[in-house]
Amino acid sequence: MGAPVIETSGLRKVYRSRRGRRVVAVDGLDLVVPAGGVHGFLGPNGAGKTTTIRMLLGLARPTSGEVRLLGRPVPAGLPEVMGRVGAVVEEPRFVPAFSGRKNLTLLARTVGAGRDRVDAALAQVGLDGRDREHFAGYSLGMRQRLAIAATLLKSPDLLILDEPTNGLDPAGIRDIREMVRELGESGVTVLLSSHILAEVQQVCHSVSIIGEGRLIASGSVAELVGDSTLAVARVWVEDSSTAIRHLERARYRVVRNGDHLDVEGFEHPEDITRVLAAEGLYVRELVPVRADLESVFLQLTRGSALGGRSVAPWTLSGGEAEQ
Amino acid sequence: MRLLAVELDRFFSRRAIVLMLLGGLLLTALLVGTALWDTRPVTDAERAEAESQVATAAADPRLQREQQQCEQRPQDFFGPGASAEDCAGLAPRVEDFFPRNTLELARVVDNRGTVQIVMVTALLVLCGATFAGGDWHTGSLANQLLFRPRRGRVWVAKAGAVLVASTAAATVLVGGFWLALLVAAGARGIEVPSAAQSDIWWTSARGVALAVGAAVGGYALTMLLRNTVATLAVLFAYVVVGEALLLTLPIDQVSRFSLAQNVLAWVGDGRRVFDADVTCLPGLGGCEKAYVLGMGHAATYLGVLLVLTTLLSWAWFRRRDIG
Repeated sequence: MGAPVIETSGLRKVYRSRRGRRVVAVDGLDLVVPAGGVHGFLGPNGAGKTTTIRMLLGLARPTSGEVRLLGRPVPAGLPEVMGRVGAVVEEPRFVPAFSGRKNLTLLARTVGAGRDRVDAALAQVGLDGRDREHFAGYSLGMRQRLAIAATLLKSPDLLILDEPTNGLDPAGIRDIREMVRELGESGVTVLLSSHILAEVQQVCHSVSIIGEGRLIASGSVAELVGDSTLAVARVWVEDSSTAIRHLERARYRVVRNGDHLDVEGFEHPEDITRVLAAEGLYVRELVPVRADLESVFLQLTRGSALGGRSVAPWTLSGGEAEQ
Repeated sequence: MRLLAVELDRFFSRRAIVLMLLGGLLLTALLVGTALWDTRPVTDAERAEAESQVATAAADPRLQREQQQCEQRPQDFFGPGASAEDCAGLAPRVEDFFPRNTLELARVVDNRGTVQIVMVTALLVLCGATFAGGDWHTGSLANQLLFRPRRGRVWVAKAGAVLVASTAAATVLVGGFWLALLVAAGARGIEVPSAAQSDIWWTSARGVALAVGAAVGGYALTMLLRNTVATLAVLFAYVVVGEALLLTLPIDQVSRFSLAQNVLAWVGDGRRVFDADVTCLPGLGGCEKAYVLGMGHAATYLGVLLVLTTLLSWAWFRRRDIG
């Protein structure tokens, strides 16, 4: 594992809305993204993901705090490292009246890249047959591909992708996911901002979760989903009402879910059978359900989503990306 | 230089800009065409009609009496030192009875020449504003900054492209206008006095400078306001509303602060302006309601406006958040 490619310390961004209201978009964010692999950047809508990315890339100025990209301070050191950073921020933005190739060529020329690099980037994202069409006529998937092609013009060491699969059809999502996975395996560090948890779980080695502009959790995906406190057991029992009463008395959280009960808060599944058997209730079926990233995410960001309940910062020990 | 070349490519690749420049070419051709049509050589029938009118006028006893009086006392007609030979000027000439004037380039400078310069200036303001506004509107500016994070240099490169492109466009349009008229005058055997040639040259040079300054100003203002329409609205407010407000101010020589008057004073090497607010008290000699707005004043006024706008735009662009 190399040195961090992204570091933020006490990063804060406050801006004024059009009505003059003070909005804290990012609130003292401490983020560390290690070199190598694909790092997920998760958070509910309005958590401050895009604002953070914009500050990382020098497009927005932090109100306070520090940002380092590839070891250089932002924005002062950006010119030194920007040649090694590719990024797609929000939706792809190009000149609609220019062709995909023209848009890429103009960007490539600013960094001295030639036509061969443009050809290679277009081929890599599968746009080489449609490159002379106007960007305005591109589908959302083609636009995303063009944006990723633009990031490849620089042969980046670090790729920052903000919701790259937004609005794509399933095939498009799969293609982008494969592309990201391949880039991560090729040695490029990818920061993937997304709210599609399945996507993050499939391609990311490590993840940072933010809510209300603050870091809530950070670590490898395996560590996050492997935390036993987040496990649920599905229990089928004859007299479910009595079972709920006894399980709750034993301080488990129980939710009736159709024909079964979802039980949380146990350490071992046999604890549930022991409690019920002691009351003369015999379990017909018990299925331990391992937590997935979605349940972790929802649990951690519940405070943000419900608007106001604070969530204690929770960083897993040894929170480095798995390789 | 690389960045300048890219920006020049971007400038001339904008369809709206190319269409506007073609429109400028068309309007210039129209102005040349109307100038040539309005001064087209008289036909044989028109000449015969004019000669007949000369003969009728020459036979007028009142004119003959006047001619005799002049020859007897020429100083009464032409001042001290006049001779009887000067009275030949009183005799009707056939040219005076032609239905239209011949092509006189010195006169074109003051009417169609000025109109053409104002038209080219307005067109290049639009081009500069469209060039910057397009980048903001499409969001492609953020993409460009991901490749060239030195914002100051990006601003200067774009301004340089506007400068070079508008200099070329203004030179072609203004130069083309006069070249066409000079060629037409030569073809008609009309000699252009050296004073008129000098006037044409200097007016054209001032016109090109004005148009280039306006293009850069339009670009700078749009980089500041981030929107072409906002730029046009500000210019409209400044020229129309601002000038209307100016007229209500009880200040002598208030036209010194008028954009339109200063533009005309710059193009016309000074301009005589009537000021209704000047109160001439009875008995005080030398009271003048008109005054001359000098070219130097106009240059200072327009130069200060341009420098302020560009400095503010450049400084603000270096610091602001890019959406």
